[in-house]
Amino acid sequence: MSLDLNLVALLPVLAPAVAAVLVLVLDIAWPPARATHLVVVGLGLLGGAVATVPGLLQGRGERVAALCLPDGTCLYQASSLTSGLQLLALLSGVVVLVLAWDDWSHGEGGRTAVIAALVLGATAGVVAVPAAGDLGTLLVALELATLPTAALVALERRASRQPAAVDGAVALLTTSLVSFALLALGAALWVVATGTAVLSGDAVAVAAADPARLSLLTLAAVLALAGMAFKVSAVPFHAWTPLTYHGAPLPVTTYLATVSKVAALGGVVVIVTALSGASGTSLLAVAVMAALSMTVGNAVALVQTDTVRLLAWSTVAQGGWVLLPLADLSSRGTRAAGGYLAVYAVATLLAFVVVVAVGARRGVLLTDHRGLLRDSPLLGLPLAFALLALAGLPPAVVGLVAKVVALRPVAGDGTWWLAVVAALNVALGIAVYLRWLRVLAQHPEPVDALAAAEAEAQTRSTAHTAVPARHTALIAVLTTLLVAGSVAPVGIF
Amino acid sequence: MNDLLWPALALLPLLVTTLALAVADRTSSPPSEPLVRGLSVGSALLSAVGVVGTVLTGTGVDVVWIPALGVDLDLRADGISTPLVLLTAGVGIVATALRHTRPPVDRTEEDRTAPLVGQHGVPGLAAYHACLQLVLLGALVTFLSRDAIVFFVGFELVLLPMWLLVARHGDAHEAARRDGAALRFVLVTATGSTLMLLGILALSTLTGTTDVDRWAELAGASLSGREQLLVAVLLLVGLGLKVPVWPLHTWLPWVHSTAPTAGSVLLAAVLLKMGTYGIVRLVVPVVPEGFATASPVLAGLAVTGIVWAGLACLVERDLKRLIAWSSIAHLGFVVLALATGTETGLQAALFGNVAHGVIAALLFVVVGALKERWGSADLTVARAALREVTPRLGFALVVGMAASMGLPGLAGFWGELGAVYAAWAPAEDRTEGWFRLFAVVAAVGAVIAAAYAVRVLREVWAGDRLLPAIPDSHRVEGVLIGVLVVAVLVLGVYPSLLLDVTAADAAALLTGGVR
Repeated sequence: MSLDLNLVALLPVLAPAVAAVLVLVLDIAWPPARATHLVVVGLGLLGGAVATVPGLLQGRGERVAALCLPDGTCLYQASSLTSGLQLLALLSGVVVLVLAWDDWSHGEGGRTAVIAALVLGATAGVVAVPAAGDLGTLLVALELATLPTAALVALERRASRQPAAVDGAVALLTTSLVSFALLALGAALWVVATGTAVLSGDAVAVAAADPARLSLLTLAAVLALAGMAFKVSAVPFHAWTPLTYHGAPLPVTTYLATVSKVAALGGVVVIVTALSGASGTSLLAVAVMAALSMTVGNAVALVQTDTVRLLAWSTVAQGGWVLLPLADLSSRGTRAAGGYLAVYAVATLLAFVVVVAVGARRGVLLTDHRGLLRDSPLLGLPLAFALLALAGLPPAVVGLVAKVVALRPVAGDGTWWLAVVAALNVALGIAVYLRWLRVLAQHPEPVDALAAAEAEAQTRSTAHTAVPARHTALIAVLTTLLVAGSVAPVGIF
Repeated sequence: MNDLLWPALALLPLLVTTLALAVADRTSSPPSEPLVRGLSVGSALLSAVGVVGTVLTGTGVDVVWIPALGVDLDLRADGISTPLVLLTAGVGIVATALRHTRPPVDRTEEDRTAPLVGQHGVPGLAAYHACLQLVLLGALVTFLSRDAIVFFVGFELVLLPMWLLVARHGDAHEAARRDGAALRFVLVTATGSTLMLLGILALSTLTGTTDVDRWAELAGASLSGREQLLVAVLLLVGLGLKVPVWPLHTWLPWVHSTAPTAGSVLLAAVLLKMGTYGIVRLVVPVVPEGFATASPVLAGLAVTGIVWAGLACLVERDLKRLIAWSSIAHLGFVVLALATGTETGLQAALFGNVAHGVIAALLFVVVGALKERWGSADLTVARAALREVTPRLGFALVVGMAASMGLPGLAGFWGELGAVYAAWAPAEDRTEGWFRLFAVVAAVGAVIAAAYAVRVLREVWAGDRLLPAIPDSHRVEGVLIGVLVVAVLVLGVYPSLLLDVTAADAAALLTGGVR
């Protein structure tokens, strides 16, 4: 049996994977290296990002394929949407790397090398998921994307926070294993229903024509989606999210909230694309998950007093928005979900970068952000813009357009109950983010003489009062992206 | 290129000034009050020149904006939108020129050590003016746009600045009340506009375009009766929250009573019109059958609102809330006129829109000025009679209330007369009996309006108390009030000025297709 490898097409996945091996080799050859490891990570991620460009430039319907069997089916195939998701994951990975540079380049022993290898491994998995052409690849890639993140969560440097981090890691690991079991069950049923492990629209169409096999296929699809839903933090598979987000080091939380979501959406898109071979199907399960995620996520986010927990619940709600257009099971739906995810990822990255920057100086509680718009507008304004983008309120037009794009397939095919739930959640979401914005816009903390002296002493004792240059650079780049997207929302959707 | 000149002049000054002021407010030494206000008024004037130019030359912008959705940035004025963009430009000048002086009272508890900005002004004044500019920009985009998605974006653009205006610069007495009112405004409007968006998206899927002119040409031909009704209901509920139509009106009095004067002026004169304009643009010509089916219910709710709000006005104790209630009644007439589906009705609605804009702007300027001087707008507190101590403000209030009760010769008359007349003789596909009943109820509502207008005048204008004395209108205020009074008189005496502008397009809207 001959396999057409086409390694060039595989480069987006290979670049981070090879970099992971390089990091481990480097660690054996030259143990004291610290920053070098992180440079290799950066190069691996950027190399992968560059390699997605040919895939991005292809027209609709075209695919970059690799690992092709003699009968023409390919185990790796990337459409322009896939390449877009890969690019998003790799660049988000770069942002997380820059954000975490200080944290990751410290620590005893081979900590840096381990973290570097884990990040690269996880990202390679994330990049492989949306391009999976068969169930085997999908399962392996999804696990590769998940398991290293559990270790990343647990590798908290500060001893005081280690118990919480381990709790978070265990929550993530447990949920992911249970979900994997569901996914594996779904995959097995899928093979029974369609007779092949390859995710092909034709096989699905044949299976859908037979009522007995159709019900089996539906069950398989629901189980598979349920297995992947935990990564999107969709309700009812969301319980790990606040625990893990809050326990993990902030850069890792950022990774989970952005890069990992790409794997989740990628997996769902793969299944949905295969299902769209059977015309006229729609999955109530996706619709219900989307509606529940938005409502629960927003409602709980509304009462949080900690910015990280608030963002954690907000990702639950936003996960619902990402799933929303997929309820339609059409190619328009998958593109809409991809576009929404891109906007969500950039805005969430920006919010996390600012939270990290403010966290180093003041803290991560909502009250620590009081008066930020006036005190340090260079942090406050970008954060405000990111929150507006997440809320979908102009002047952050890009967030509003993302909401329009996500609602369009739902309003178009007439799933009115879902559309109305989504519409009400727009208002609920606005309430969530305006609550934070209100704190940002308040007058700065009243400082009496005593508190002022105390604050000054604290200022002197902490060395990192100024925002580090790399944070400023990240904030500038991400804000520019959001503003540019608001002026001309071209190429995202 | 020449085509772009006027629309760009109408929109860009607002955008640039918004950004400049928003940035200026973040600096450690914010610019002084005269500079900020001068810049703001200058930008509003420049924009008004651009608006007039756009209207007179008939030029517009048309560029592709979001190719993936097929959305064009298509900004032009026609007979329907001309009166409203002119109203927006005019009211914009009034709102920016009004002096915003009162520092929030709760300031003492909240930030004792924040730098005092001195006598010149309120902290965050530059941001306050930036918000006004952004509201105007959003309103102009809404009224000029011929693309439903851009219309929606403009609709949403006003939310955040209005939220900031009410929450940061609203009624000084209670921070919690301000926050509540501001949040309520944003959430209600956002819910409404998202429901409207669902209607727009459904239409765009069914027709394959988001161009409202194309929708008017199709006149719902590609939609089944059920789809038409569904879309009409979605759009009407969404827009009805903004108008607001009874029973979706509960947010308005609260927001009005806490908003700063300029915010109230913009809210009543411009933002509420977005709702009625939306009905004219997106519902009446686009899904005519669906609208016809829904119209008796809509008209019924409108007249209920007229009477309900009128009765509330008879007992309301806060003068600003009272004016807000009367706005609900006046917009009830506009919606009733729209629901009749006749050309007379449409004309009356378009006229009533503008008339209410001018009258509400006048009343809110006067009442805002009084509230500033009185310290509250509570009617139960004994105060000096305006006739005696502030004859100019008193006269303006008399004109405003008289116009509000629909006295002939003043702006309010034609819209309300037209609405009642149109309801008496509705379009053929409307149930005549119901509409005649509505006409009678609306007429009763007009009588109630006279009653509450007289009540207000008796309580604050007439009488012989001379204490506590308050100063009369000062220069800028006096000029602004004067201009608005003249506008009320001109529209009342010479209504053809406006009716001729809208006539051709109003007729075209009902017969399907554009002129």
